[in-house]
Amino acid sequence: MNISIPVIAGLVILGLLGIGLYALLAVRNLIKIIIALQIMVKGVLVAFILAGRLQGDMVTAQSMALVVIVADTIVAVVGLALAVQIRRHTGKLDTTALTTLRR
Amino acid sequence: MATTLLLLTIAIPWVGGLIVWLVGNKHTGLQHRIAVAFALLAGGAGVALIPYSSSQIVVNLPLGSVFGNFTFVADGLGVFLTVVATVIGSLAVIFSVDYMQGEDQLGRYYAMVLFFIGAMSGLVLTSNMLLVFFFWEITALCSYALISFHNDDPKAVAGGIKALIITQIGGVGLLAGALLLYAVTGSMDFNAFIANPALMPAKWLGIMAFGFLIAAAAKSAQFPFQTWLPDAMEAPTPISALIHAATMVNAGVYLMARFYPAFKDVPGWTTAVLLVGMITALMAAVMALVSNDLKRVLAYSTVSQLGYMFYAIGAGGIYASQFHLFSHSIFKALLFLGAGAVIHSVGTRDMRQMGGLGKQMPLVRAVFIIGGLALAGIPILNGFWSKEMVLEAGLANAPVWTYIVMLIGAGITALYTFRCVWMVFYGEPHSDQHVHDAGPAMKVALIPLAFATLTSWLLAGSFGKLLGPETLPAHGIEISSLGEVIHEVLSLPTLIALIVIALGLAAWWWRGRLTGLSNALKGVGQAAADSFGFEAINRGIVKGTQSAAEALRATQTGLLNWNIFGIIAGLIIVLAVVIFGG
Amino acid sequence: MWHILIMTGILLCAIMAIRTKRLLVSAIWLAGCSALVALFLYLLGAPEIAVIELSVGAGLVTVLFVFAINIAGDEAQPSHPVISRPLAWAVIAVAALLVGWLLLPGVNVAVPGLPESQLGNTLWQARSLDMFLIGVLIFAGALAMLGLLADGKKEAVEP
Repeated sequence: MNISIPVIAGLVILGLLGIGLYALLAVRNLIKIIIALQIMVKGVLVAFILAGRLQGDMVTAQSMALVVIVADTIVAVVGLALAVQIRRHTGKLDTTALTTLRR
Repeated sequence: MATTLLLLTIAIPWVGGLIVWLVGNKHTGLQHRIAVAFALLAGGAGVALIPYSSSQIVVNLPLGSVFGNFTFVADGLGVFLTVVATVIGSLAVIFSVDYMQGEDQLGRYYAMVLFFIGAMSGLVLTSNMLLVFFFWEITALCSYALISFHNDDPKAVAGGIKALIITQIGGVGLLAGALLLYAVTGSMDFNAFIANPALMPAKWLGIMAFGFLIAAAAKSAQFPFQTWLPDAMEAPTPISALIHAATMVNAGVYLMARFYPAFKDVPGWTTAVLLVGMITALMAAVMALVSNDLKRVLAYSTVSQLGYMFYAIGAGGIYASQFHLFSHSIFKALLFLGAGAVIHSVGTRDMRQMGGLGKQMPLVRAVFIIGGLALAGIPILNGFWSKEMVLEAGLANAPVWTYIVMLIGAGITALYTFRCVWMVFYGEPHSDQHVHDAGPAMKVALIPLAFATLTSWLLAGSFGKLLGPETLPAHGIEISSLGEVIHEVLSLPTLIALIVIALGLAAWWWRGRLTGLSNALKGVGQAAADSFGFEAINRGIVKGTQSAAEALRATQTGLLNWNIFGIIAGLIIVLAVVIFGG
Repeated sequence: MWHILIMTGILLCAIMAIRTKRLLVSAIWLAGCSALVALFLYLLGAPEIAVIELSVGAGLVTVLFVFAINIAGDEAQPSHPVISRPLAWAVIAVAALLVGWLLLPGVNVAVPGLPESQLGNTLWQARSLDMFLIGVLIFAGALAMLGLLADGKKEAVEP
């Protein structure tokens, strides 16, 4: 086995983003959707660090990644608060219960 | 100073609209006052702009490298139409104080009216094609919102939707032309292009010219899109006056006049404009003859007079078309506001239920007759001079048979005008309910318009200077004094035209003896009542657009998963373009 | 090769986080995934971020999830998806292939040496705007947290 580390990192990025997107397509539970977003953001983190490593500018990459982590945590908090609210209003955690468009 | 004034002309009505809306519908008195104040301010700013028109003031708002600058130019044509929009618009607003008394949701009404006026000023003052398109669409949106102002009335909503869809179809032509201009010349500014049309290769120029013609025809309700304007009569009457005289329909004539120097060498373009104008003028005149709805008669007469303007442009008479637009704005605003006063007090629009109103509303009768005489083209009112100018232009530069058709149209115009005046103000009263006279604000709006109808032709010379070569070098308008206009109008063809108009009048006086003829023409009347079948085309366009929208609704599921599916599909397309697109 | 092992672990945890029916178990798998990503980041040469990811991503966020799931309830989910699974897989596979195609030339290189770095200095001097942004974000997060808590109390009173 002679795969270089950046290729492995690339596979991790693709895998995490792909799994997250798949979940966004296939999953209807709101909290699961937030989990899927978390998984995707982890892929983005790895991508930032990999890019920094390949470009030789680890510092910028890390400070960007820091912002991403914070923003992502806030997204999780807000998303969860929304999910709880929706659970309270509709009695469900199902995204299909949210639409008010005529079908 | 002048640049501030230019931007103020657009900004004042918009700010006023915002304030009226924010005041809230609980303070109706305040809303009336604010709307009138801002409309008058805008009118003042527009008039104050006139002295600067020859000095070509230019305002550049830098907006990055993609769209170029947003440029506003106060040249003669733009200033003229701004003055029309703001002054006639402010009179319509004053009229609304009485007409809309006691209506709900005045905030929405006045905000949209002021927004409309500002957008029209912006449309005619900018020289950036993209901005022209934006303002063009804003006027379409405002007209829709105002036509459908009584949004619990299905007819009003249908009329508004129809106006919106038809003008949007035309807007596609404008957008295509604007994008072509940008793609070929790399600049959105059209002044350089008008000065040198050779910037565009011939085939693109042709597409642009006819795209603009479609846009202008849809906006100005010309053949074959003429049916939206009569349906827009469901609007409150001051709105009809605004749309017909001040803002909406003038945009199409403006577009044609503005781009005439660039497009006049496109093969077939001037002929097309000429024919569109001629067919519209004649057809709408016949339709006005058979209609029994007071506002519809006026709407058809607008369509017909706009046909005269298109005809003049097609014949190369830019001055004649703009002068007729000027006169038409004044007397048509007068007619509509007068009709509004009548409708407001009688409570119906059906002329068969009116009659004998002259005794109860003497002032309205007087001003309405002045407006009607101007519409018919009777000397010495302003409509006479401008219509004769149009006919002279047609005689000079167009085939003679088109001139004859336009003459017949003028005769029919006189006939339907007198029929309308007679049915409303004379004859036997058909309803015995008490009719109250027009309110004070209505009179305030009507009297200056009546005065202007009598005298605005005296401005022909200064009007020619306003559009003169130093501000519009490409248009080649050389008229600089009233004497020239009088000299041109007072000639043999004018006598012929007057005879035809007199024949139109006579046909109304002797209508009893002409029963044989009118029976023979009954079939034409039937066809005219159905808009000669073009109603079906327009209805088809509206239906098609609506059913397409209905079908596209399937794509709007409101489901998160499908939305994300769309995002990923978009991502795939972008990636495929990046990878395989070279 | 440690890296391949960790990669397998990350992807396994992610898949399990999606597939599990119970939300609480799902959150635990997410925490595991986060921890392994932190390890991976450490091996890529970003120890500071790795530590933060471990504490925030694996710690704080998991706590938040457990908390929210407690409030919202962890009932069995309707599993019938809106979009059929094969279609979803196909779309994801196409997108991943295309991205991979673009990515491959960029990543198929030897690892360059780790440059010297002073994260602290750069963070506070060159990227102070980012730090300001982070402050704002944390403030927003605190507000959202308050919303979450207030609702919890209300529900406790109401029944």
